[in-house]
Amino acid sequence: MVNILTRAIMMSTPLLLGALAEVYAERTGMMICAIEGIFLIGAWGGFVGVYLSGSLLVGLLLAIALGGLMALLYAFVTVTLGQQQVVTGTAMNILAVGICSYFQRVLFGVPTTPLQIDTLPKLSIPLLSKIPFIGEIFFQQNILTYIAYILIPVSIFVLYKTSLGLAIRSTGENPVAVDVAGLPVNRIRFLTVLVAGCIGGLAGSFYTVGYLGMFSSNVIGGRGWIAFAICFLGNWSPKGAVLGTLAFGLADALSIYFRTGTTAVPTELIIALPYILTIVLTIFRSNFRVPAKLGVPYRKES
Amino acid sequence: MKSKSNVLLYNIAAVVIGLVISGLLLLFMKVNPLDVCGQALQKIVTDKYNLGEILVKATPLIFTSLAFAFTYNANLFNIGAQGQFTMGAIIAVALSLGLQDSLPTWLLLLLVLLGSFAGGAAVGGLIGGAKAKFHANEFLVSMMSTYVITNFMDYLLRTSLQETKAEYMQTDAISSSAYLPNIIPGTRVHLGFVIAVAAAVAAWILLNKTQLGFQIRAVGKNADASRLGGISSGKIYVISFMIAGGLAGMAGLTEINGVQHMLLRDFNASIGSYGIGIAILANGNPLGCIFASLLFGFLNVMGTTMGRLPGLNIPASIIELIEGVVMICVIISYAVRYAMDTKKKKAMMRKAGV
Repeated sequence: MVNILTRAIMMSTPLLLGALAEVYAERTGMMICAIEGIFLIGAWGGFVGVYLSGSLLVGLLLAIALGGLMALLYAFVTVTLGQQQVVTGTAMNILAVGICSYFQRVLFGVPTTPLQIDTLPKLSIPLLSKIPFIGEIFFQQNILTYIAYILIPVSIFVLYKTSLGLAIRSTGENPVAVDVAGLPVNRIRFLTVLVAGCIGGLAGSFYTVGYLGMFSSNVIGGRGWIAFAICFLGNWSPKGAVLGTLAFGLADALSIYFRTGTTAVPTELIIALPYILTIVLTIFRSNFRVPAKLGVPYRKES
Repeated sequence: MKSKSNVLLYNIAAVVIGLVISGLLLLFMKVNPLDVCGQALQKIVTDKYNLGEILVKATPLIFTSLAFAFTYNANLFNIGAQGQFTMGAIIAVALSLGLQDSLPTWLLLLLVLLGSFAGGAAVGGLIGGAKAKFHANEFLVSMMSTYVITNFMDYLLRTSLQETKAEYMQTDAISSSAYLPNIIPGTRVHLGFVIAVAAAVAAWILLNKTQLGFQIRAVGKNADASRLGGISSGKIYVISFMIAGGLAGMAGLTEINGVQHMLLRDFNASIGSYGIGIAILANGNPLGCIFASLLFGFLNVMGTTMGRLPGLNIPASIIELIEGVVMICVIISYAVRYAMDTKKKKAMMRKAGV
């Protein structure tokens, strides 16, 4: 039981980072449809960084940088050039697969044994980790999980209590008003997407650096899209994202748990659980508060 | 008419730029891009089999790109062509294995055609229905449906559809009496290519020359206004998603009965996402999907051929790289064209003294 819950928190980590990144971007009106590709390139960047340098920190930094680069291209095409977000995202997700598997080959050729890296160590927080039950579940995780913990209150505070947060939220609701107030709509969007991309890259690195210690081009397997879905289902709020993430993390942990044991339920059904959950929730959730200008490029009238 | 040729010009320029960029990426493999491309091209044009492969690879892409393009005209996003195709493939292989000994080839193929269409259409109909009835976001639902269906396929491949030997997660091979007939000797090109082209033409006629097509495009332009005009947008959502799903499902027929002759894991796992890129390249026009699919078929064969060039060790993943780069270039070209048009319009207005 404790084992499953510990695992659930662990598997929630990248989803939470990704969903928070997506919440911020979508509040400015920008869906990051390249999130799957950003996760992937982050996973690859983390792997390559650690493998080549031997330093976990370098891996994480490379993941952030590559995630940011992907987001830079995405923001250039969708914000600066005002192109379709869904379409650009799809193209970039394919591009990410191409970049990762091509340069994996350029760098490492065809290795005879799978390349392995060390994964992030579990850090026990003094005192807190000693609390029975809770300590084991929440405070014996790796550094990325703690970063995610910190980001929850920080992102709630920034989004709702600062003028920056107000600007971000208004940009998605009423860009014209923001423009009239003298704030640069497209620069706000561009920078938010950029920051979100960096966080998305870090989230992706969790799968290689924080968990598997290996890279393959299907390591993300749709989890970027799940982060994307969580943002929708959580009603574009950080709190909703946290709740949604926990549900999906639990489903993910259960599926890993059941895959290793033998049960009467087909494993495929359990693997499909997070996706089925998304569909059901999408259908039966009616009170969505979609940012008014989500997905709509902003062009200044001249 | 003039503006249309203009679009084509921009498209071609974008594709060429995309190819040049991806060619430059070959430098990382420490090979001469021109040399490699030249060799690969020569291998393709001098070999009838390779030329045929372009049509073979283009066939399922025509279907999946139509699946996106069709709903795109109703301003809906069908990201789930992969799942709809998989459902079509499951039905195609099940029908073929079950009936191949008892029915004449033509009747069996006709049944598989209808069955795979129906399989994809059922999936599409559910997505469209969720959109119509519950205002569910079709983008999310269709995307997630792919993962669900893929797992459903894996389950079947491990249980009721698994090969008699029960060794791998795949079905038995269908018998040659259930094959789609070959249409060009010396290649693998099969009747499926003709069916795909016919489907694209039919989709174009349906969209542009019929009452239903008019309604679909009207809902796409402005759902609220069409509701006032007496068009039920909910009905249109369901119908266009069913047709789109059915089109993707038909790729199940062409790939099972035309190419692979069995169903296995990760079967054509990326034709869904390529379909989206192709539909965009074609700007949502079903006829354009044919040509854009041929281009992607060509790129695909080009990538595979490069991968097989002796001694160079170029990975087959170069295909994804090229196609991704080309797609981004095409999307950027739309922005460039828009900017040029605006500039021209402004210049004209200034001339007219407005």
